[in-house]
Amino acid sequence: MSTPAFEHEPAFTTDDADTWHRVHPVSPLVRGWVAVAAIIFIFGRNSLESVFSQGWDGGKSLTGGPPALFIAAVVGAAVVIFGVAFFLSWRFTRYQVTDEHVHINSGIVFRQQRRARIDRVQAIDVVQPLVARAFGLAELKFEVADGGKSALKLSFLKIGEAKRLRAAILARAAGVVVNPEAPGEVQEAPETQVLALSPGRIIGAVFLGSTTIVALCVIVAAAVAVLWSGKPGILVGAVPLFIGIVAGYWKNITGDFNFRVAMSPDGVRLHYGLLETRSQTIPPGRVQAVGITQGPLWRIFGWYRVHVNVAGYGADASEHGSRTVLLPVGTLDEVMAVLGLVFPDPGVENPFEVFGAGLRGPADAHGFVHSPRSARWIDPLAWRRNAFRATETALLCRHGVIFRSLQVVPHERTQSLGLRQGPLMAALGLVDFELHSTAGPIRPLVHHMSLANGLQLFDEQAARAATARRIHRSEHWLAATATDLRIEEHERGN
Amino acid sequence: MPKQHSSAIDPTDVTFLRVSPKLTTVRLISGAIGALIFLAITSAPLILKLTGVWAGYPAWLAWAAPAFVVLVAAWSMILIPRQVRAIGYAERNEDLLIRGGIMFHRVMVVPYGRMQYVDVTMGPLERAFGLSTIHLHTASPGTNAELNGLPAAEAARLREQLSARGEAKLAGL
Repeated sequence: MSTPAFEHEPAFTTDDADTWHRVHPVSPLVRGWVAVAAIIFIFGRNSLESVFSQGWDGGKSLTGGPPALFIAAVVGAAVVIFGVAFFLSWRFTRYQVTDEHVHINSGIVFRQQRRARIDRVQAIDVVQPLVARAFGLAELKFEVADGGKSALKLSFLKIGEAKRLRAAILARAAGVVVNPEAPGEVQEAPETQVLALSPGRIIGAVFLGSTTIVALCVIVAAAVAVLWSGKPGILVGAVPLFIGIVAGYWKNITGDFNFRVAMSPDGVRLHYGLLETRSQTIPPGRVQAVGITQGPLWRIFGWYRVHVNVAGYGADASEHGSRTVLLPVGTLDEVMAVLGLVFPDPGVENPFEVFGAGLRGPADAHGFVHSPRSARWIDPLAWRRNAFRATETALLCRHGVIFRSLQVVPHERTQSLGLRQGPLMAALGLVDFELHSTAGPIRPLVHHMSLANGLQLFDEQAARAATARRIHRSEHWLAATATDLRIEEHERGN
Repeated sequence: MPKQHSSAIDPTDVTFLRVSPKLTTVRLISGAIGALIFLAITSAPLILKLTGVWAGYPAWLAWAAPAFVVLVAAWSMILIPRQVRAIGYAERNEDLLIRGGIMFHRVMVVPYGRMQYVDVTMGPLERAFGLSTIHLHTASPGTNAELNGLPAAEAARLREQLSARGEAKLAGL
């Protein structure tokens, strides 16, 4: 089981308690290059200017600019300070990957020692910012389940080293049986590409996305303002908004560019990015919930976007939510293909029809139960769209008329359940059902069900979740056989 | 003991345990303290006006602001006994049920196997009445499972019970 790209690399061995590694020596420079560039730019420009002005003046105003010696001293001091700081920060950062834990020690004044259990890994990212790519380096991000608050980061490693480390961590997390001949030796799991998005699709999707809807609103508002006041000068006020919109387009296009989805025994692999490239690995069973959404303009082409809740990612506000995207844009077929990777068992015989009904159709086709007629006083448009359907493995919640969405939560990932009813809903005999998932973009909710349906869903879902928890696979996804065997025996016994 | 408030969304075949009626007193006291502070702030212009320091302040506004605070405080005080009676919990085989609310009903089920940790807290006012608050945490931030007004002994028993059952049924994330 070796991939061609790493055949020449020695296999990764995990460390014993005394072996420590350091990150690549260039790392602090790659992280702090902005500061260095700023210093060089400011002093470089000053000294160049003074050289030029002296040149033009024919040496008459030698006292005009700062003396060359002074500039050299400042630059030299900066180089020494940065160099020492970079050296110390490199010197004090050490890491170690043992069979059970990842340790990272860092910090010069405030020392930090972090230890994460490998079997609790929720996701691993290999990130390459533009500058790091130039050096052939990558950052390894290791997520544990704490709502995205504190990923363990190793920045930066050589790209090959980062990939081998990822393979090693995932193999340990999967519970792969260690080869007795060479303990601690692992091979990278091979991956097969499932789908790749063309640049045209990404650009089209971005231009038909929510940014465009905002842009249209801004244009209409600006036009109305100009017509109403009769002063075209007002348009100047809209310029920052337009700059923001263009920046939004740019960010979305470069962020999702070259998006590829691949499958490996270690889980789903996502590769994407134009300038900063990222490859995410989500091990099997780590996806807590999936949300499929469609804006009004995407309906023309039948495109959908797929988000996931992963315990380690959290709400992910810091990176404008790109990490929680499983598929930035895809047709129904592609959505189903990707869904098949994260939820291999949809729990129904005709998943295409059921999920299709969940995404497109109103009414109660394919087992969907929608809000009763009395809900039209609250949801005049959406009452036939708001619906749920429980399959054997997951709960599907459908919402929205203009912005359509479908939320899928596997029963074994249900955290807790709730029913809510306000005075208006009580008068109409309605109830909201909510299903709590880990922190993330998806907050599963079934709006305005009839009282009978809501209560039945509440009871049945609690029972389904309890059953699913009992037969849930182990955290070690490749070592799951022991549990599976027990379940099979249990089922045979019945 | 007055009958427990019941709502249409309660599961039918469950008997809920009630929290201590002393919670009514605790909530009334803390509500009264809050209302007094607000009243002091909002009646400052009235006092200034009556003492003649700020005679130009409109009289209706000077009276309306504290009157409004008194009304709101009285209304919420009237609701407190019913709200406390509405709080209930039930330990089932697989999960803990929590109910609450009189206008905005809420029922929540928290499976034992999903609990990450259990907090038991006791504020100064609660301590004076021998009550504590128990808070269940799952991996979801949406699980807002808090039970106020448990007698300290019952809270300790529930915590031990929940931890034991959580351990027995632990199901990862």
